[in-house]
Amino acid sequence: MKNSRRLFLKSACAVVVGASGYTIAKSSTETAVIDGKKYALVHDETKCIGCDACSVACREVNLVPEGVSRLKIEREGPYGEYPDQYFRFTRKSCQQCEDTPCVKVCPTGAAYKDPETGIVSVDAWKCVGCQYCIAACPYQVRFINPVTHAADKCDFCKETRLKEGRQPACVSACPTKALTFGDLKDPESNIVKVLKSAPNYRSKTELGTRPKVFRIASREGEVTL
Amino acid sequence: MSPFHFDGLVWHWPIAIYLFLAGVSAGAITFAILLKHFKLGKNAHKSGFIQAACLIAPLSVFAGLGILVLDLTKPFDFWKILVFYNATSVMSVGVAVLMIYQVALFAWLACVFKEPVLNWCNGRWPLVTRLLNALAKHEPSITGFLTILALSLGAYTGFLLSALTTYPMLNNPVLPLLFLISGLSSGAAGTLLGGVLLKGNPDGKEVHFIHNIEIPIILVELVLLFTFFIGLIISGGQSKIAALTAIGEGFWGWVFWGGIIIVGLSLPLAFNLFMKASSKRKFSYVAITASCSLLGVFLLRNFILYTGQMTVA
Repeated sequence: MKNSRRLFLKSACAVVVGASGYTIAKSSTETAVIDGKKYALVHDETKCIGCDACSVACREVNLVPEGVSRLKIEREGPYGEYPDQYFRFTRKSCQQCEDTPCVKVCPTGAAYKDPETGIVSVDAWKCVGCQYCIAACPYQVRFINPVTHAADKCDFCKETRLKEGRQPACVSACPTKALTFGDLKDPESNIVKVLKSAPNYRSKTELGTRPKVFRIASREGEVTL
Repeated sequence: MSPFHFDGLVWHWPIAIYLFLAGVSAGAITFAILLKHFKLGKNAHKSGFIQAACLIAPLSVFAGLGILVLDLTKPFDFWKILVFYNATSVMSVGVAVLMIYQVALFAWLACVFKEPVLNWCNGRWPLVTRLLNALAKHEPSITGFLTILALSLGAYTGFLLSALTTYPMLNNPVLPLLFLISGLSSGAAGTLLGGVLLKGNPDGKEVHFIHNIEIPIILVELVLLFTFFIGLIISGGQSKIAALTAIGEGFWGWVFWGGIIIVGLSLPLAFNLFMKASSKRKFSYVAITASCSLLGVFLLRNFILYTGQMTVA
């Protein structure tokens, strides 16, 4: 009796460890084997003038309700002495990570990465609104859409402009051509040319998220240590 | 920074209550199993403490799940969590554990209360008799499963938060252990408080047994809290800022030092040691000690949840 219970506990523990270990090992070795596109975006901060044409266009095209936003331009400054003054503008929107914290934590699979385009999207019907993805996103760009009550965020206009075969709303709205959108897998694409011609950076790469929004840095506002 | 409203705050107090209740349920049933196995045996169902634990475990897990569902932005779509699974999501795995846990919990309760239930039925429903006999035959397996599931549930409440890379204080390997151990201690406290309220003997063998386990548990909890914060401070960067924001001056600093360290851990430890030394246990001693422990764990859940979300990586 006593021995059988001990044996049972041991084998049950072994099963639990084995099953969870298998899941973790499987998920870490899984690599993207899809032959689809890898859409990405470059924000050239040296060209950005902070006019907000992009965020206005985004709201109109994707019917984003007031009070929430898929895209924001954050302004720092002004730096320097008059007349040589300038601002720094940074884009706050979904970073379209390759290693997606939001998709990993979503309990229903409502947050998913589209295998055809590499775009991270939300299935509003599957979403139950647990807000785990909102907490898991280190870029803090997800929000609950007050109309659908589902999690929402930038999807490179996948459901709107890309379906019409056009560029994302923010890209076509930008008056200074600060935004470049395209397929990273196509060596002839504009985005690959831009990325090869200018040094660029991505936000919070130390977290292992491998974002697909690249930035070309503007002049530093101030030296910070 | 206001203690309950700040930038980056996603999960509010309902989640803290849910984490607390899940821990209480897992802890209470663990102690019920230990009491039955080591002290009470076949007569377990007569003990007020077993009765208390067996009431607390299902009620708190139901209440916790209820709060969790109401906290969704689409409460009526909660069934989608049960239908769609994602193996990489801690929440999804946790929901699976919770479902199986409840099945094992009721199977075990049926085994423990087989005798009174059968007496009450008085042979009226042969189906109930057959079902209970069948379950009782597998009691060792059910007990083993339930122990593993209860410990998994306790640890899950910590893994749920530690999976969030956004917040360096939560994304911490010590957190699941801390929540498991503090969940066990809240379960012990709930069992003791409920037991004496249900007319259990405050100087009975159940109380002696639980108090003997509670002392090392409180010591381990203190060590884990120390490791948790020293680990964050040594990591430097945002982790260090997160730790110092949490336990430094301000509302949550008071909650941590006064509410968790003093009222939640030091006082119960002192009371337990005193009761062990004087070997006199009265209703008021047991009830006050247990209330302090419960309050401490409840504050710990809120403290970790809120201060954890204050600093972003």
